[in-house]
Amino acid sequence: MRGKGIHTNDPHIQALARIVGDEKSILYKKEDLLAYDCDGFTVHRHLPKAVVFPKNTEEVAAIVKYCHEHNLPFLARGAGTGLSGGAIPLNGEVIISLVRMKRLVSVDLENRRAVVEPGFVNLKLTNSISDRGYYYAPDPSSQYCCTIGGNVAENAGGAHCLKYGVTTNHILGLEVVLPNGEIVEIGENGIPDPPGYDLLGLLTGSEGTLGIVTKITVRILKNPEAKQTVLAYFDRVADASQAVSDIISAGMVPAALEMMDQTAIEAVEAAAFPVGHPKDIEALLLIEVDGISSGIAEQIEAILHICRQRNVREVKVAQNEQERARWWANRKTGFGAMGAISPDYLVQDGVIPRSKLPEVLQQIQQISQKYGLRIANIFHAGDGNLHPLVLFDAEKPGETEKALAAGSECLQACAAVGGSITGEHGVGIEKKEEMRFIFNDEEIIAQTNIRDVFNPKNLLNAGKLFPTPGRCVEVKKG
Amino acid sequence: MSLRESDIKQGPVCTTGSLGNYLWNDLPDPNKWADCVHCGMCLESCPTYEQTGQEQHSPRGRVHLMKSVAEGKLEINEDFIDPIFACLDCRACTTACPADVDVGGLIEEVRGQIRQAIPLTGWKAFVSKFFLQGVFPHPTRLHALGNLLKLYQKSGLQKLARKTKLIHIMPQHLADMEAILPEISEPVRKKYKHANVIKAKGETKHTVALLTGCVMDVMFSDINEATIRVLTRNGNDVVIPQNQTCCGALHVHAGDRETGRELAKQNIEAFQHVDRVIVNAAGCGCMLKEYPELFRNDPVWHEKAEEFSRKVEDISKYLYDTGYEIPKAQLNTRITYHDACHLAHGQGIRQEPRAILSSIPGVEMVYMPNADRCCGSAGIYNITHPEMAGAVLKSKMENVPEDVELISMGNPGCMLQMAMGVLKHGRNQKVVHTVQLLDWAYQKEEGKEDRT
Repeated sequence: MRGKGIHTNDPHIQALARIVGDEKSILYKKEDLLAYDCDGFTVHRHLPKAVVFPKNTEEVAAIVKYCHEHNLPFLARGAGTGLSGGAIPLNGEVIISLVRMKRLVSVDLENRRAVVEPGFVNLKLTNSISDRGYYYAPDPSSQYCCTIGGNVAENAGGAHCLKYGVTTNHILGLEVVLPNGEIVEIGENGIPDPPGYDLLGLLTGSEGTLGIVTKITVRILKNPEAKQTVLAYFDRVADASQAVSDIISAGMVPAALEMMDQTAIEAVEAAAFPVGHPKDIEALLLIEVDGISSGIAEQIEAILHICRQRNVREVKVAQNEQERARWWANRKTGFGAMGAISPDYLVQDGVIPRSKLPEVLQQIQQISQKYGLRIANIFHAGDGNLHPLVLFDAEKPGETEKALAAGSECLQACAAVGGSITGEHGVGIEKKEEMRFIFNDEEIIAQTNIRDVFNPKNLLNAGKLFPTPGRCVEVKKG
Repeated sequence: MSLRESDIKQGPVCTTGSLGNYLWNDLPDPNKWADCVHCGMCLESCPTYEQTGQEQHSPRGRVHLMKSVAEGKLEINEDFIDPIFACLDCRACTTACPADVDVGGLIEEVRGQIRQAIPLTGWKAFVSKFFLQGVFPHPTRLHALGNLLKLYQKSGLQKLARKTKLIHIMPQHLADMEAILPEISEPVRKKYKHANVIKAKGETKHTVALLTGCVMDVMFSDINEATIRVLTRNGNDVVIPQNQTCCGALHVHAGDRETGRELAKQNIEAFQHVDRVIVNAAGCGCMLKEYPELFRNDPVWHEKAEEFSRKVEDISKYLYDTGYEIPKAQLNTRITYHDACHLAHGQGIRQEPRAILSSIPGVEMVYMPNADRCCGSAGIYNITHPEMAGAVLKSKMENVPEDVELISMGNPGCMLQMAMGVLKHGRNQKVVHTVQLLDWAYQKEEGKEDRT
């Protein structure tokens, strides 16, 4: 779009530009790099050294090899919608942007699998095969724009993972560029459970610290025969939580079971996709059941019955696809909608046993009061995956720090009831210190030892996922 | 917009305050970027991000850069200007944004700062001044230009230029534009100069004023004629205020907000005695509805602009809302509909034109995937950024169904661009305005004409 040629004397930039072929495939000026100083997690910012846009696996491998040989830190980035800072260039990394590797390589309906490049957008896979009656199940709320490569890195979940599982349950094979530039294939062409260690499981969710995925074989599913969606408004959070527990303990596995609290409702109703939820309810549930047609009506009836038993104010079934789509757009844009009621937000990602919902929500309320910051809750209630959204204004001195502390306390509350600090957003920069709520130093070192096997120089996405080593680090290195 | 250092000349500094490195009058509105939480839901909606994959060419990237100038982290220089002027201002991101961030409005405000900080110089300044200040705001000059074009077409010069390949001395994108120039006929402004009112057929239900537009009335006066016929057929008296002028959208898009304000004032006054202003060009309609944005620092004119903007309506929505007669004649044609950005994203008008088209007997609507994706016209973007506009157009044409005869839409800029797409990509569709189709059906019913 602009003047030709590379205008810098930096030999690394020149060498990287030669690998990717032209000046349109590398960014190195401050004005361009600034757009890459953070991802969906905006609290920490750092400028990368450069951003390169490879077109194929070989170029990725060549870039990685160059960085490895010249000791340049580097990391991979997709759409940059991650919520824990996994794509933030903390160490002034060379960012390898995979968004131009966005082909749908092949679709094999007979064997229910598809091969995509890492920059292929999640929702585009479903859109490409829906006319033939198939879809890709993992549906993070950012699925309109997030890439499947990024989903693999973060082991992304979504509203429907209660029934269908998270990304790792849908990955059949990976082509990976290792941190030294070597290209390897993992997974026996879609054969489930190959002998040997489960390397697919290890790589999926490794947050870009073990290698860069350049091709992905995913499982695709047949569209469910029928689908019904229920919206239920509750005056009290405790009743809504109890209804969630009742539904699961009645032996039903809804495709999705989502909850929003009053502050979250205020945001989505003030934003781009309002539904007309009442503002004075404490919580709403969005429940979807799917499967073969027979049995759906009975499940819906049972769900309505449970909601009424738990003092629901109003409960309704979506009358058509437009209504259902509207409810889901309202829910799925919930995080971005926070912009309508707050300049900044920080989203947490704790997991708790379902039975602890009312108790933990109560604690989050207390944390909110303690710090004087509003906290909205949008979450996958069915599997106990909470998303407390701490609302703050980064321009007010000290407020970012307060928000971080409040977020951290929410996670501590989750860990204290036997839960976890992340369900689907990853640890990244955001929650690396909170890893100590779950693991002791030995356990952390056991994991960084695994990382060192793949990434011995720690040039690939360093400073993420694990806390800065404590005193035991000398023991390990010794 | 590529600029050499030598082109850069510092403009006058603002006297009423500054915001970081925004130093000039008419500062951008910080509330607009405060709503952005950097979630990235806008990325896939953005045609320039789709083409480049680069985030400085994405909505959230641009918002981030514009905010960084206010924070003093960036200066207004060539590398900042590039992503800001490479934006198509198509507003698709505004539709996609969960927090309703007005990226288009911000882009326009910041372009205003850029043009005050670094006024255009050299031939770019000449061309910009000639067209934006010298021609568009002046109906007589515009009509004269139209007459020149007409002469070019009618005198055989066009044939000669095409035959002798003389046309090839023009840059390719301008030659492409020449190839799709519609046949020029008499502007309605001129034609109805002495008519106080064009009477409704039958009983008068409403009186409306028509914005004839600048380019519209020169290049597509037949669409203005069709609009008048459709309005009068449906019980509307139509007035054409003679002191109306260009809406100013091209100026505001280019960062010349001062001329934009002058034109806005003239239009607000020209239409002050009517209750309804009907527009058949989506870009103009959107601009008129956004006049209040231009007067954020001028309470008196802001109020007038607010009052004015409430009177403005697109022809398709007006007909849909007030009721129109369903034509009785059959058109027997397969068509597809393209959402003009400033109709769908800018004014939220999507269903009304489709409903009108579907209501015409014998019209079969064929679904166009990504119908609300920009075609690359974007005002004069196809002239300032031909390469990007061409790439965006190519993506658009890939979505146009093969088996249709007509592509219908509600904006003249899109019509020219889509006609170019049809020509360049070897397609055979005709490009029409929604209101033209309705008009043809009425005409056929009246036994006057069968144009399909």
